[in-house]
Amino acid sequence: MAEGRKAMQEKRMGRGATLVAVMVAFVVVLAVFYGLDHLVMGIQGLPLNPDLSPAG
Amino acid sequence: MMSGKGMDMRRVGRLWLQLFKVAILVIAITPSLLVAGDVASDGLSVDQRIAPVGQVQVEGGPIVEMPGEEAAAVEKPEPLAAPRPQRKDYPGVGVSSRAIVWVVAQMHLFFGALVLAVPLFVLVIELTGVFTRDERYDDMAHEFMKISLVGFSITAIIGGTLALALFMLYPDLMAYMMRVFRVQWLWYAFLFFVESFFLYTYYYGWNALRYGNKKWLHLTLGLLLNGAGMTIMVLANSWATFMMAPSGVDETGVITGTVWEAMKGPLWNPINLHRFIANIGFGGAVVGAYAAFKFLSTRDPKLRAHYDWMGYTSNFIAILAFLPLPFAGYWLMAEIYAYSQQMGITAMGGILAWLFIVQAVLIGTILLAGNFYLWSGMSRTEGSVRYQWMIKYIAAILVVCFLTWMTPHTLILSAREIATLGGSHHKILGPLGIMPAKNIAVNLMLVVTFLSFQLYRRSDKVATVSWAPVANGFMVAIYIVAMLNIIFVGVYYGYFTNTVYKVGSSVVQVASTLVVIIAGLTIDGFLFKGAKKLPSHWGRVSDRSQYALFALPIAFTWLMGLMGYVRSSVKTHWHVYTVMKDNSPDNFIPTIGYAGNMITLVTILFVLFVLFMFWIANISGVKQPRPGAAEGEAA
Amino acid sequence: MTVPSKEKGAGMGVFVKAMLFSLGLTLVFTLVANLLPQVEGEAPVEQKVDLGSLTMDDFVALGENLFIGKGTCTLCHKPPPLGRAPDIQGENMMETARQRLADARYKGKAETPEEYIHESMVDPSAYVVAGWGKKGSNDSESPMPHVDKPPIQLSALETDAIIAWLQSKDGNEVTVELPSAEASAQVAAAAPTAAGAAPAPAASGEEAIKKYGCLACHALLGSAASLGPSLEDVGRRLSAEQIRQNILQPNAQISDGFTPDVMPKDFAEKMTVKELEMIVNLLAEQQQ
Repeated sequence: MAEGRKAMQEKRMGRGATLVAVMVAFVVVLAVFYGLDHLVMGIQGLPLNPDLSPAG
Repeated sequence: MMSGKGMDMRRVGRLWLQLFKVAILVIAITPSLLVAGDVASDGLSVDQRIAPVGQVQVEGGPIVEMPGEEAAAVEKPEPLAAPRPQRKDYPGVGVSSRAIVWVVAQMHLFFGALVLAVPLFVLVIELTGVFTRDERYDDMAHEFMKISLVGFSITAIIGGTLALALFMLYPDLMAYMMRVFRVQWLWYAFLFFVESFFLYTYYYGWNALRYGNKKWLHLTLGLLLNGAGMTIMVLANSWATFMMAPSGVDETGVITGTVWEAMKGPLWNPINLHRFIANIGFGGAVVGAYAAFKFLSTRDPKLRAHYDWMGYTSNFIAILAFLPLPFAGYWLMAEIYAYSQQMGITAMGGILAWLFIVQAVLIGTILLAGNFYLWSGMSRTEGSVRYQWMIKYIAAILVVCFLTWMTPHTLILSAREIATLGGSHHKILGPLGIMPAKNIAVNLMLVVTFLSFQLYRRSDKVATVSWAPVANGFMVAIYIVAMLNIIFVGVYYGYFTNTVYKVGSSVVQVASTLVVIIAGLTIDGFLFKGAKKLPSHWGRVSDRSQYALFALPIAFTWLMGLMGYVRSSVKTHWHVYTVMKDNSPDNFIPTIGYAGNMITLVTILFVLFVLFMFWIANISGVKQPRPGAAEGEAA
Repeated sequence: MTVPSKEKGAGMGVFVKAMLFSLGLTLVFTLVANLLPQVEGEAPVEQKVDLGSLTMDDFVALGENLFIGKGTCTLCHKPPPLGRAPDIQGENMMETARQRLADARYKGKAETPEEYIHESMVDPSAYVVAGWGKKGSNDSESPMPHVDKPPIQLSALETDAIIAWLQSKDGNEVTVELPSAEASAQVAAAAPTAAGAAPAPAASGEEAIKKYGCLACHALLGSAASLGPSLEDVGRRLSAEQIRQNILQPNAQISDGFTPDVMPKDFAEKMTVKELEMIVNLLAEQQQ
């Protein structure tokens, strides 16, 4: 009984909202790792093209 | 009573004052006494009498200059280059000198690592006890110190033996090293006094400085103990790194820099970091074996719970320290390559390359044992059931990566085998033998090991925050994208671009793994604030799992021995690389089989000494009952 | 607290099992190490080369041996994709050398392919082949060590032998000369042979000056020769660095009233570093 009331009190995300959030998470993480690739190769003096092939 | 004591004090004080006055008088008078006796009959002062002889004034000849005016035109002392001993200059004792020093040095390093590591995590555990106000942490910290106390003496004894062996068997090298490092040796010796002081006050004062402000004093003692120990280590590290990559000297070994320049070579900090982290992992592994043994030796549920918890903590420390270790090792190798590409390639692409296959076997063992222990530990909680489906996939990834890592590149093949294979390298397995494949393998292994770790940590909690699904979404995305990135970067830059990009890509892989670890720790830190805790039963773990805690220190120890073999061999036939040649009878790199046998010998010796250390700790708590006292006295 | 005997027995059982497991695991590692190919890394041993009877074929063979052995060239110069340096074993070196000399980026001092190869060995950063430079140096710095310095320390004779092999292996004409008897004395001096007749490196500045015959031309230490400038006050006139350069590159700066090409140019090859430093120090003190 107490648990039910608690569940009602807690704000829960709906299914659709969760799916969107997860998809956004994936996109964000992909972007982060893409940036990481550029950054880490760049600071070593190994520049990359936008398609991640070696530049210059 | 009080006045009596006071009167005694005053008498003591007066006596002391009188002695002090006498001492001052003696000190003041003595020089004049010494000088006075020297005024001789010819009326000359001391200075005049001890003027330099040899100023011959020939009658009618040129005037000889009086001493003191020419600023002593001594020849500039010849710059002392590194000694060049010939084979006959090396003392022999009938047994290979190198073998003797190898065994003693490796034992010293094992025990040194142990006694540096233990105070480190003991301090952290003690702090945890202060912040959580849970007495169990403090008791465990105290117990860890107790079981390793004898280790400090053993380290010192073996260190003394090592010094003896080195000076006896390699006197020219040691003379040169003493010349290069000058006053640093004195600091090193002095630090042992400092360390002993803090060790004894920290350990024996544990119960006396237990609560309140005294506890903070105790923690400070522990901190200073760690400081002294750490300084001892970095000083000793500088000798090893100087021998590999000398600095502060010129090509012939003439000292051109300060002691600091001799110490701060290109490999010093990489070795400092690598050994610092590795020590922690090693220490955790060794005390974990103790906990496992005690766990298996008792049926008492309370004791089993205690030692299970202790074993878990030890494994936690060992794995947590182990995860960043490959990166520290990578930095070390990168610096070696930067210092001398030749030295780097000798290590990884030349004669010592096979050694890294053995290293792969050892690290694979460590990761498999660590993961196995974590999975076994999931039986302690009910909340682990929801994660157990992942274990088989983690295991599969670990095994595949382990096999990839182990795959050698160059095989010794007969002509017929080459014909069957269609070349000197297998078409499919050949590419797995080079670095890009191995970097993919090791990074993936570290990522999934962290996953095991994270799942275990989560299995006794349920998140209650509203944004839990988003956080988990991020976590899943990070794992998947990181693993894909590691594979992509490894394959593309490793096989389809040039060498420089290939080497640079490994840093990206490392960064990806670090992102997973840091993100995982951070997200979980926030996600489980105010989380619902599920019941967790310490002691409810299989006996089989404890063998993982035996495997860890054995593999760690053997690995340390192996790495010592690399470090020493990479200097090839030099005592001090490019500066002082090794002309001893043992100036060749021994085969890996010989090295393996030596490492096994030292590992067994180490285990025996550690058993002694544990036994002493155990027996110090045993009280033999007085004969004739009540029979059947129980614990 | 005493241990009940039942637990003591269990303790012993656990101890034995733990020990057997640990020993077994250790032996697995030992086995792995012993099953692998066993290679011993030998230290280079000084060998006497009898230059009186040395043929060009012998010289080329010596070069090949050095390439694989003491020179440690094959550590980096491997066929792609393994090599960290150009694949000189696979390439026709004389052709390659000509191409490199013709490259606009070439700023070194060599003029013939032989000189190019020699320069690549003793001064690798003089010209770095595109793509092989140290990371981040934009191909201006070579990761290759100087072969005439430690830890490789090839002598002039050994360097020439390797060049001879590099020329001969692709069928090109060998332009390197066979070492002369003078070089032979030099090699014998460098090698700690049991012959005993070889002169050891000088132990003091004065000994070094006498060894290299400076007093035959220069006024110093009692000599009154005047074929070259007097050195009795050279410490006042020149800095230590200038003195050093004048010894190593006599033609770089000729004093007034004297002619070039008289002073020997090969002291850099003949003197040990220590001898040079002792001479420089002694000369820097000459301030009459």
